[in-house]
Amino acid sequence: MGIKYFSEPSLRKPTMIASWPGIGNIGVLAVDTFRQMVMAEAFAEIEPWDFFYPKQVIIRHGRLEDITFPSNTFYFKKTAKKDLIFFVGEEQPSELGREYAEGRKAYQVAELVVEVARKYDCERIYTSGAAVAPVHHTARPRVWAVPNMASLLDEVKRYPNTIRMSDVEERGGEGSITGLNGLLLGVARKHGLEAVCFMGEIPVYLQGLSLSYPKASKSVLEVIGKVLGLSLMMEPISRLAARSEREIESLYNAFPPEIRDQLDKLKYLGHTTPAPSEPGPITEDDKKQILEEIDKFFKNKDDKED
Amino acid sequence: MKGSSLIIGWTEDTGRLGAQSIDSLERNLGFRTFAEIEPVGFFPLGGITVEDDVAQFPVTRFLWSPDSKLLLLCSASPKSEWYRFLNLLLDIAVRYGGIREVFTIGGMPAIVAHTVPREVYLIPNSEGMEESLQGNTLSDDLNYETPEGQRPTLNSFLLWVAKRRGINGAGLWASIPFYLGSVEDAAACKRTLEFFNKRYGLGMDVGELDERISRQNGLLSELRKDSTKADTCIQRVESNLSLSDEEFEELAVEVAEYLKGFDDDIR
Repeated sequence: MGIKYFSEPSLRKPTMIASWPGIGNIGVLAVDTFRQMVMAEAFAEIEPWDFFYPKQVIIRHGRLEDITFPSNTFYFKKTAKKDLIFFVGEEQPSELGREYAEGRKAYQVAELVVEVARKYDCERIYTSGAAVAPVHHTARPRVWAVPNMASLLDEVKRYPNTIRMSDVEERGGEGSITGLNGLLLGVARKHGLEAVCFMGEIPVYLQGLSLSYPKASKSVLEVIGKVLGLSLMMEPISRLAARSEREIESLYNAFPPEIRDQLDKLKYLGHTTPAPSEPGPITEDDKKQILEEIDKFFKNKDDKED
Repeated sequence: MKGSSLIIGWTEDTGRLGAQSIDSLERNLGFRTFAEIEPVGFFPLGGITVEDDVAQFPVTRFLWSPDSKLLLLCSASPKSEWYRFLNLLLDIAVRYGGIREVFTIGGMPAIVAHTVPREVYLIPNSEGMEESLQGNTLSDDLNYETPEGQRPTLNSFLLWVAKRRGINGAGLWASIPFYLGSVEDAAACKRTLEFFNKRYGLGMDVGELDERISRQNGLLSELRKDSTKADTCIQRVESNLSLSDEEFEELAVEVAEYLKGFDDDIR
């Protein structure tokens, strides 16, 4: 169990940006897009067999040739401004059919990622995931930022289009980040390493669908680019976001009108669009009802499909 | 034991092939349990499941017989820590059996009718094993990659682990008519045991399986007389004609429910 190095790049105080798949694949899409954008080069991987079930068996001419596992790869890129290390996990090492990593394996994987960060003297780690929020898909997703040290709060406040948990109504600065995108913050802190998790907002009614939500990945990428002082080419992810929005729009239009009416109220909830005189501000009861209606809708849909 | 061979069957298998084959070897050749792997860490132990009104519990048993150079393993498929589990079972087999080769048994759902002989493929994990299997039914032209959205079987994972450890191995894949996937397919079991009989000179009488095959085929004939729909679907499979997804599912459910009512008769 460990890390296999293909090369040993010489890096100067790099920043690590890590992500695993999660709701809407928001984090992993942002990080992987960034990685591809700068053409980062693979230099190491986590040996997978202790953590993952194989992904594919390859049989050639009747003989079992090989088995492949989900990849967990480290990449590096030296830029004029900053050296970067990317970590992209294809899967979270879940156990017993759980969707997110937890327990011993998750901890070991987080430790291995931090081991690489420490080996290269990373000055900070950024992770990314999703924030499920009562927002509408037509709104620009905000980015929730959670640092692993109180000393980073003032800095985080200055990031664009970013909020903290305490800015979210009723949260009082509290919440949780499921899986490795969150756990890595804790393990980094244990080793005295600064880390921040950026979570792109995803509408609550999309969280249960197996759809990527690149619109939120784009928001995350914008923040990461700003934080690192890098000018990133946003066109590819913007195109992806636009295409996904069209698909979501057609799904949305297939919702029964009564559910759509409820969901439309999310357009006026909070930060983006001022509420018109009609249909009136959304109340807590409305919010509860919206979520119940959505649950009911998808349950009925699933039952029909079953 | 030195230089023995390990044969592995899993309790959850298409056509119940793995468990059925190991069970037949155990009963006919006087094998007995000599070791078990504790379930902690490999199986969820937050309670038990109930199947056919009976409480289930994951068991991993190694069997040996003083008269044989074989080790058998019958086990539930672990639900976590697969790599550690597979290494552990090979550790035990190497330490107590000095194994030189390993065979895995697995049923493979196929669009074939129960009225045709079962195909058995052997997938070796090394050139050495391939050579030692010459003359048997080999799928030497098979090229396969697990399709997107699916995962390899635990048998493939095990053969890969064995290969990494320098242990020769082969997967024995028997085709099972898809509508017999959730019940015992005695015909596939017979083909499997015939292979081991020949390879290891076991001298095992597989006659009891002929009786079970005949009883199962008899029951399926009865079902075909009673159910036009089932008969039509099976006829189409026999004629290599396609079925819709719905027909696939309905036939599988109908056959499974029908045969389960006669489980004791078949056995």
